[in-house]
Amino acid sequence: MLELQILIDGFAISALYALGAVGFTLMFGVSGVLNLAHGATMVVAAVTAWVVAGQYAVNPWMAAVAGTGAGVVTAFATYFLIVRPIQRSRSVPAAEKEIFVLTGTLLWGIMIQEAVAYFYTDNPKTVRPLLAGVMQIGGVRTPINELLIAVICWSVIGLLWLLVNRSKAGKVLLAASINPRALTLLGFELSRVYLMVWLIYGVLAGVAGVLLATFLGASSAQASQLTASAFSIVVLGGLGSVSGSLLAAYIVGYLETMTAYLISPTYRTIPALVLLVLVIYVRPRGLLGRR
Amino acid sequence: MTDLRAPAAAVSVPLLDVRGITKRFGGLVAAKDITFQIGAGEILGLIGPNGSGKSTVMQIIMGIHRPNAGSVRVTGVDVAGWPPHRIAQQGVGIVFQHSRPLHRQTVLENIMLGLLPDKLLKLAADRHVREKAREIAERVGLGGVLNRKPGTLPFADLRRMELAKAIARDSQVVLIDEPFAGLTTGEVAAFARLIADFRNDGRAVLLVDHNVKSVAALADRVFAMYLGERIAEGTPEEVTRDATVRRVYLGGGIEVATRPARNARGAALLQVENVSVLYGKAQALECVSIHVDEGEFVSVVGLNGAGKTTLFNAISGLVPYSGRISWDGKELRGRSAAAIARHGIVHCPETRELVGDMSVRENLDLASHHLTAAQAAQQLEWLYHLFPRLRDRERQIARTMSGGEQQMLAIARSLMMRPTLLILDEPTLGLAPVILEQISNALEQLRNTTSITVLLGEQNVTFALPHADRIYVMDHARIVWEGEPSRFAAEVADTYL
Amino acid sequence: MTEALRGLLKSRLFWIALCGTVVLVTLPWVVSAYVLGILTVAYYFGVFAMSWDLLFGFANEVNFGPTFLIGSGAYAAGLLNASGAPIWLCLIAGGAAALVGGVVLAVPALRLSGPYFGLTTLVAVLLLQQFIVIFASRTGGEIGLTMNDILSMDTTTNYWYALGFMAVSGLILFTLSRSAVGLILQASGQDRIGASALGFNVVKHKLAAFCISAVFSGLAGAMLVFYLGTASVGTVVDVSVGVQVIIAAVLGGRRTIVGAAIGSIFLIVAGEALRPLGQLSTFVVSGIALLVILFFVDGLMGLLLRGREET
Repeated sequence: MLELQILIDGFAISALYALGAVGFTLMFGVSGVLNLAHGATMVVAAVTAWVVAGQYAVNPWMAAVAGTGAGVVTAFATYFLIVRPIQRSRSVPAAEKEIFVLTGTLLWGIMIQEAVAYFYTDNPKTVRPLLAGVMQIGGVRTPINELLIAVICWSVIGLLWLLVNRSKAGKVLLAASINPRALTLLGFELSRVYLMVWLIYGVLAGVAGVLLATFLGASSAQASQLTASAFSIVVLGGLGSVSGSLLAAYIVGYLETMTAYLISPTYRTIPALVLLVLVIYVRPRGLLGRR
Repeated sequence: MTDLRAPAAAVSVPLLDVRGITKRFGGLVAAKDITFQIGAGEILGLIGPNGSGKSTVMQIIMGIHRPNAGSVRVTGVDVAGWPPHRIAQQGVGIVFQHSRPLHRQTVLENIMLGLLPDKLLKLAADRHVREKAREIAERVGLGGVLNRKPGTLPFADLRRMELAKAIARDSQVVLIDEPFAGLTTGEVAAFARLIADFRNDGRAVLLVDHNVKSVAALADRVFAMYLGERIAEGTPEEVTRDATVRRVYLGGGIEVATRPARNARGAALLQVENVSVLYGKAQALECVSIHVDEGEFVSVVGLNGAGKTTLFNAISGLVPYSGRISWDGKELRGRSAAAIARHGIVHCPETRELVGDMSVRENLDLASHHLTAAQAAQQLEWLYHLFPRLRDRERQIARTMSGGEQQMLAIARSLMMRPTLLILDEPTLGLAPVILEQISNALEQLRNTTSITVLLGEQNVTFALPHADRIYVMDHARIVWEGEPSRFAAEVADTYL
Repeated sequence: MTEALRGLLKSRLFWIALCGTVVLVTLPWVVSAYVLGILTVAYYFGVFAMSWDLLFGFANEVNFGPTFLIGSGAYAAGLLNASGAPIWLCLIAGGAAALVGGVVLAVPALRLSGPYFGLTTLVAVLLLQQFIVIFASRTGGEIGLTMNDILSMDTTTNYWYALGFMAVSGLILFTLSRSAVGLILQASGQDRIGASALGFNVVKHKLAAFCISAVFSGLAGAMLVFYLGTASVGTVVDVSVGVQVIIAAVLGGRRTIVGAAIGSIFLIVAGEALRPLGQLSTFVVSGIALLVILFFVDGLMGLLLRGREET
């Protein structure tokens, strides 16, 4: 029943990748920022959940909420301390702002990573599964938590879709990713739109981080790997395209799972990397990218 | 402007021979079957309003675009479709409209760049290169600023540097794009002399501009374009008097419908006092003062580049300015552009700024965001009544609509915000006459049924005149005339072009 | 040639670099072997950073994975050495391997823009890393490859090698930056259309910039592993090493070449000086670098030269 195992595990892992990638691509699509402190944000959420669960002996759901909150706080810190000052800076030439934001968030991510490692060591932290127990699906023993993760990820993604496509606020976000000047002319303060994006981003990254902790465990040493995966998935799918990120997350998730099971866990990341290189050479804007 | 044209001479073998150039961008035909020649020692002026295709033609000659059909021969060699650097090596030099200096290099180094060969292994420039660069700098008037960086130079000097680079290239064919924009009258004269020098050296010069007046005094011949096609060709006098050219720029015969007399003069709603705007170094607006009273329809007319858009951008808070702009007695300075829009001053820009990937209805819904559901529904109904076409295309994606429909959507969207002052910038740009008619009628309806105040900016005088209570004429970043439409025909119309 | 020389002598940066080098030359008589060892690594790092600055300052391409070039050179040299080739041959091979890598990187770069190019460079590093891990039997994988030969056993000799290499590389790169070719490269990077309109083949020049940057990076990487005695992923391939190279160049001052060297020395020395802080040393160094890019955009060179080159 290896195929079924791969199918199920792949689905859960991909869902988690998808959640991480969607936040990343939304951030780029609306505000043009490639947040290289993404992995660190997820790690902060994960470790906060672990600390709260451990030190205050609360149930895992409360810890999850605390972790998500920490994700939001980190996201805002990134915006107010690093990204916004650079974007508003008068000494950075406009053409180089993107690079400075990239380098700045990269350094900030490293600082967060090291700070977490200093206080809590870089051992992987796990949080007790939100729902314990295993289930039999067609003969395969699957932890219920794994299924729950897939369900939560997709619910959050679904909520996001509803928000963007069916709510007034969401339409504003969508418009911001297409033509911010139009919004200004219609009386919307762009600064408030950006605040909204960072809030949503914080929630997405926070939830992804917490779920990662319950599933595979998270350690500060993984921060750059997490950022790199999200980045690769997003570019594969097309920078700024949410559906592209979802598709790419599943392609990558399944490629990794299949490689891990059928070839060897050590070579897990290779097929996806090769695919990424091919895409960059052949179709740089990604599978579903617009530009 | 002093007449710098060469005495009539026989045109020899053309240095630049453009035949049958056609270029399509998707469904849009930007240039259609364009043919002209320029011989040695000749200046050809290529004129046309925005959207006429003259920039496209220039970009094709430069090599930025590949034409769909036709040939471009430089000294007899067909270069159509070649990469830009090869075309440049074949003998085509360009003076760009917007200066593009290397900011980290000195003026001398910038000019030297024009003298260097395209070789990888040249570590040091030949000794004479530095000397030659110095000579060229003196010739254009930059002798005193050789060791300064471009960032410290005034606007006119940056333009001089662009000319210097072209001189350094020593090209047979020189393309000059809108050379006089942003220059004072004195500077314009100096530049015109330098451009005449190019011609006197025996080169072929293509002078591209939308400003007919400045081209007329310098060019030997003029080629006029509109919507991608040739509409006139000949001497400057012939072309400026040509009926089609006049219609395209002025919009046709100037008719003035007698406006119903306005009894109570509304209070001055918008007051613009001594406003100036600098774009980098260019003086985009110079000490402009206008006022718009409540309920008035004021038209600001002028050619592209005269400063209308800059004025509107300053009013709606999109660009920094010096001077005073007040609304209903209170200064607007310090408010964000979005706040000004929410306050009742709604700007419908030249570029329309629609949310292209959203539908007509979604665009309108964004505009009604701050209204209650009832107000929004009522407003929507009224707008569909004003622009029936939009109702039919409610679900259509904005970017797939025609230019005219997009313009209607842009205006409708602005009106959805229930503005006290509607600023409308060049609504007729690139639109067919039939659509102009519809928009004109909609404006008339607006005028008669609501108490809205309108500030309209237009190049097309025929469109701007009938609705207006008052006219301002702008030229070269300044207001040059103010008055009622009835006096416009008598006092200004002849010198407009 | 005299034009180039004259240009060099007029440059403030050149004199700063010259004075700095003179000071560094005197150090073996003044400081301990421990310090010399740290500086030796810093000098090789300096060449990494200067090569990166050349690519950035001229081709205007931000390479987020300089360790692709460095690592290719280092491992090529190491693997060749493992089959018995002499050091000088291995160094040449290292440079050549990196050159090939530079061309491979240039091909997508010249078609991509913005973040896509950055990602390509990052992915190249990840692929190289995986490659090394898979072929662990030959490359030593995560543990590393022990070199058969080393440059020298003596600390001071190693110091001279490194300082000499950095000085010569720096001189070449700096002269290039000030030459006619350098001017054309700058134009190609800053304004592609403008440069083409002046008759310059931008693609040709950018490719040249890549190749030069690659050769110096690879050569430096090869020399470094012959100094350290081992080639490992953690020292010459890891993304974090690449990040440090970028930080060094930005910290020192973009587009100055000399700044990159100074930034590297500062970074490595500061890292060592903060070693007592243990885990927090990376935190502090990253923090300082972050403050620099937020408040002193032109880096250390910017501070040193502030106001004087204006007028």
